[in-house]
Amino acid sequence: MQLDDTLLAFFKRPLMCIIAGSDADGRPSAGRGVGLDVLDDRQTIDVIFSAWQWPRLEADIRQTGRVAATFVSPSDYVSFQLKGTASLLDTGAHDLDRAERFMSAATNELQSLGVPRQIIGPWLTARDARVTRITVSEIYIQTPGPLAGMLAGARAR
Amino acid sequence: MSLRLSNLSACFEGVIPSIIATAAADGMPNISYLSHVVRVDEDHVALSNQFFAKTAANIRANSHVTLIVVDGFTGDQFLLNVAFVRSVDTGPLFDRIALQLKASSAQVGMSEVMRLRSADIFRVHRIEPVPSPVETASARRRDPVSLPALSEAIRAIERQSEAGGIIDSLLSGVRGVLGYGNALVLIRDGARGSLVTTGSMGYERSGLGSEIAGDDGLIGAAAASGQTIKVNDMSRVRRFGGAIGLEAETSENATRVVAFPELPMAMSQIAVPMIVRGIVTGVLFIECTERLAFREEDEAVLEILAGHATSALRLSEHAAAQPAQAAPPARSAIGGREIRVVHHRVDDSVFVDGTYIVKGVAGALLRLLLQWHLKDGRDAFTNREMRLALGGRMPEIKDNLETRLLLLRRRLEEKQAPIQIVRIGRGRVRLEVTGPLTLDAAQD
Repeated sequence: MQLDDTLLAFFKRPLMCIIAGSDADGRPSAGRGVGLDVLDDRQTIDVIFSAWQWPRLEADIRQTGRVAATFVSPSDYVSFQLKGTASLLDTGAHDLDRAERFMSAATNELQSLGVPRQIIGPWLTARDARVTRITVSEIYIQTPGPLAGMLAGARAR
Repeated sequence: MSLRLSNLSACFEGVIPSIIATAAADGMPNISYLSHVVRVDEDHVALSNQFFAKTAANIRANSHVTLIVVDGFTGDQFLLNVAFVRSVDTGPLFDRIALQLKASSAQVGMSEVMRLRSADIFRVHRIEPVPSPVETASARRRDPVSLPALSEAIRAIERQSEAGGIIDSLLSGVRGVLGYGNALVLIRDGARGSLVTTGSMGYERSGLGSEIAGDDGLIGAAAASGQTIKVNDMSRVRRFGGAIGLEAETSENATRVVAFPELPMAMSQIAVPMIVRGIVTGVLFIECTERLAFREEDEAVLEILAGHATSALRLSEHAAAQPAQAAPPARSAIGGREIRVVHHRVDDSVFVDGTYIVKGVAGALLRLLLQWHLKDGRDAFTNREMRLALGGRMPEIKDNLETRLLLLRRRLEEKQAPIQIVRIGRGRVRLEVTGPLTLDAAQD
């Protein structure tokens, strides 16, 4: 499934990201993402997270390769959820740069919306960063409202 | 030490969205934000069942759920492993959850969007702190509530025998025990269906006589539901009581509406219903410029103080309704400037020399006292005769004459009117006027 232009534009905005995995028994795990990169094929997305902060998420992705990631634009609640199969990669310098930019944009955005900077600090770290490379199979609109939960964002092929 | 849900109270204020991760029967995960998680007891939380269909379906197919909740004060995060137990759509627990959601939704400006249909109850199996990359701002360390101070505040309320003293002691207790400096006591006016500010502490303008209509805003919601309700972060919204009038004091005379007192930059507000025998007779309201000011133990203290004050007010009504000694003889006439009083029958509002004083029951009382004074020259009156005279038209004064008289007395004082009412003993007041009176009925 390919991401359309609307989604590509959305991914350039300041965003927050949350990620879920599940273990072999179907128990879900959760964590926060701190960076992303849509690959050129438009069907694959790299999402960066801290294995130090979210060890169970890392273990579950390694075990089952099932991932869901929701991205939200804090200023207007516009949200999309991507699901698919995923693998884990080590991070390179460019991933860490991306994470830095993502975290700084998110922090500034939240702060401009009135969230005190010191309470944002605990949420965003790239310590022991991992990249989960997701082959996207499902995309959902997650913005609160009438379209919530509907399939979205796929470019006709 | 293992964490308990009660250690996480600042996570349940609805300030920072929580996160819910579920998995379908085939194991595919799903993740979304959640407006609010409510702590039910030490082992259970409730989630509003208004999230996305996929989350709801997953929960039914696979009861294992992972939540991330966030301390709204420090930003600390916690992972909760929970399992679905049941849904509720009626009953006291549902009502409590619905009310909390209403307040916290209003806090993020979503009150129109969120309407609770049912709530899902989850058992909490494990609570795990999430490591933080930064030293988190230590939660404001406050001394625990001093029980001796609380006990003294209760005794101070109980030492009072009349409404003014009781309400003032309640407000002093709020400041003395918890340190909050801005508070109001509103008393229900049954006939008008509103709550009237009868005690006030810490505001630039006291707002005595200002009203909150019906179930409007935080104060109205507390009165209508009989439950304490609070908002703890108003940084992203207009005030909860947006409908509260902001008329300047100068417009009182034109509108007969007293402006509600305002605390600029208020971040936290709490409204505690004053209940006696299951009936809400008023609301204690406190606000503060700090985020997340009102913790669980604050709520408990405020409910205790409000409960004692409400009982004391009821006792004072009963005591004041007993036969009082005969009124002392009328005092000699006074030869000051003429005072012109106008009464508007439509809302019982009363103006003294063109200045709006009060309306409703309190206005009707002033008119009554002035009529008696003009008729036979008396200036001392008993609550009992006031009750008898007005009880037919205003049955609710049976239970709140004292607080209405208090409001009237305080408004006359605040306006430095040439008419004052002085309490001269249990169940008796004296009218003090500085000159000859005329009392006119306005044609509305």
